[in-house]
Amino acid sequence: MPDQLAVNIVMVEDDEGHARLIEKNIRRAGISNAIHHFTDGTSALDYLWNDPHGPAHNGPALVLLDLNLPDMSGLDILSKIKGDAHLRRTPVVVLTTTDDKVEIQRCYDMGCNVYITKPVNYENFAEAIRQLGLFLSVIQVPDAEGAP
Amino acid sequence: MPTTPTYAFSRDAGNNRLILLLLSIGFAAVVAAVVAVVVVQKQAERDAYWVEHTLDVEAALNRFVRHAERTETARRGIIIAPTETNFVAIAEKAIADASRELAGLETLVRDNPSQVRSVEGLRLAFDGYARQARTTEAEAKLGILKVGSLDSDATVSAIRHIRTYADEMLRREDALLRQRNQAQDRTRSLLSAMLALCGALIVGVATAAILIIRRNIREIDANRRELHVLNQELESLVDERTAELQRANAEIQRFAYIVSHDLRSPLVNVMGFTSELDAARKVIGEHVLKDGDDVPQTVRLAVEEDLPESIGFIRSSTQKMDRLINAILRLSREGRRTLAPTRVSLADVVQSIVDSLQHRIDETGTRVELGELAVIETDRLAIEQILSNLIENALKYLHPGRPGEIRIASKVAHGRVNITVRDNGRGISPRDHERIFDLFRRSGMQDQPGEGIGLAHVRALAYRLGGLVEVSSEEGQGSTFTVSLPLKFQSGVADA
Repeated sequence: MPDQLAVNIVMVEDDEGHARLIEKNIRRAGISNAIHHFTDGTSALDYLWNDPHGPAHNGPALVLLDLNLPDMSGLDILSKIKGDAHLRRTPVVVLTTTDDKVEIQRCYDMGCNVYITKPVNYENFAEAIRQLGLFLSVIQVPDAEGAP
Repeated sequence: MPTTPTYAFSRDAGNNRLILLLLSIGFAAVVAAVVAVVVVQKQAERDAYWVEHTLDVEAALNRFVRHAERTETARRGIIIAPTETNFVAIAEKAIADASRELAGLETLVRDNPSQVRSVEGLRLAFDGYARQARTTEAEAKLGILKVGSLDSDATVSAIRHIRTYADEMLRREDALLRQRNQAQDRTRSLLSAMLALCGALIVGVATAAILIIRRNIREIDANRRELHVLNQELESLVDERTAELQRANAEIQRFAYIVSHDLRSPLVNVMGFTSELDAARKVIGEHVLKDGDDVPQTVRLAVEEDLPESIGFIRSSTQKMDRLINAILRLSREGRRTLAPTRVSLADVVQSIVDSLQHRIDETGTRVELGELAVIETDRLAIEQILSNLIENALKYLHPGRPGEIRIASKVAHGRVNITVRDNGRGISPRDHERIFDLFRRSGMQDQPGEGIGLAHVRALAYRLGGLVEVSSEEGQGSTFTVSLPLKFQSGVADA
């Protein structure tokens, strides 16, 4: 599936441990797409918009977003992506510990595509990420430029 | 905080006593004045009587003198015309009249010794004169009347005596009259003065009374206003405190929420990497065991027993921590939920809880009895959670070897409803009666699953519904939980 291979996964996650666990389980699901990991909002935004290999300039991408970041809220990143003409079609998967109904609603209102609560129980967590991996393997991601 | 008005009331009490005293004195003075007026009035009446009396005496005296003079005139007539008999009759009548007047005069002047003496003199003079007049009559009858000079006549001197006495008496009576008139005038002016004084007193006392009453009314008004202001201050104070409590409560809720969320993150790592560790251990274990006997016993033990044991402890502790964090989250989330008061039939709520627990009720052979249950206005979900926690607890902590009996009833009194959940279970030690409502605290044998959250939750909910929850229990006999709620919904702790 050459189309899917081109998709970059941008992971914005401040907890190194979580990031490692997510990556491990995505790989276990058989997903080999490149994963770009950022531990803060500023560098993630910089990559999304300015990096020559970033989604704004080069090909489709999928964003895995944590809401609790040290320098800003994940919601700020979400609103920036969904408010940008180039990036607004980029799928955003919010992956966070918050399971507050109001927060979930707000994310969907702002255009988040999938909202996943990180289960504390590791078996469930691993399972959820693996399923996300399977989901990623079949999902069609549009180009940022709107190209087919 | 403004000063309380208590001292103002005590000051008024002293003032009021003084005012009452002054008013009493005023009224007493009015009464005394009225009595004095009556006394003076009586005196005036007496004075008038005496003036009249004097006038009577004078009149009687004048009448007597007239009769006496008439007698003399008649006697002279007899002397001039001895044969004219009607002069005799006139003389006799005049004598009788004069005597009568004299007797009357005597009784009239009995109070006055000098006048009595004068009357006595008059009587002697008149009696003498009357005798001579009769002698003249007799002589005229017999025709032996000889007429001498009238001037030398003895009767003339008698008449003169009478006149002198009478004049003296009149003079005396005139003096008395003047005296008595003066007395009467004095008494009259005294009476007027007394009446004026009395009137002034009445006006004064009435004015004072009106002034005092007006002042009291003003004071009462001022006090009422002050009380009103104090009440308002108190109300705003209560509102302020309530707002503070609400803020504090909201803060705690937010704190609990944030803490539990932030605690979750590292926990995900601990559990995740523990699992990774376990997976790695299995790989190593398989590799080590494949090599068979070449492996030292210590390595085998470490891989097969020490590592799984450590990992197991890490897992069970993390899971427990996760449950606790979830409990805090649930409590804080419940505290943030907006309450929606509706009319709730407690009978329906309890019945549906009992139905959902029917399986366990049958299993343990427990008898559940529903008493009278009221309809109240409250949040349905909250009351459901309160009652299901209490009923589940009753069903959970049965006395071993005794069939359970649970009774749920409610009683309405003074605008509140008391819902009781009574069981015959194992009971709660008195020292734990407060503790069991604290988060993560449990009582008695720890032989049942649970985190010590249920009753903390019940209490938090009861507070939010403007209610209270209490327990009375005897160890080994059973427990009764009482939830007291307002009949009409009123928020206890604010929604955060």
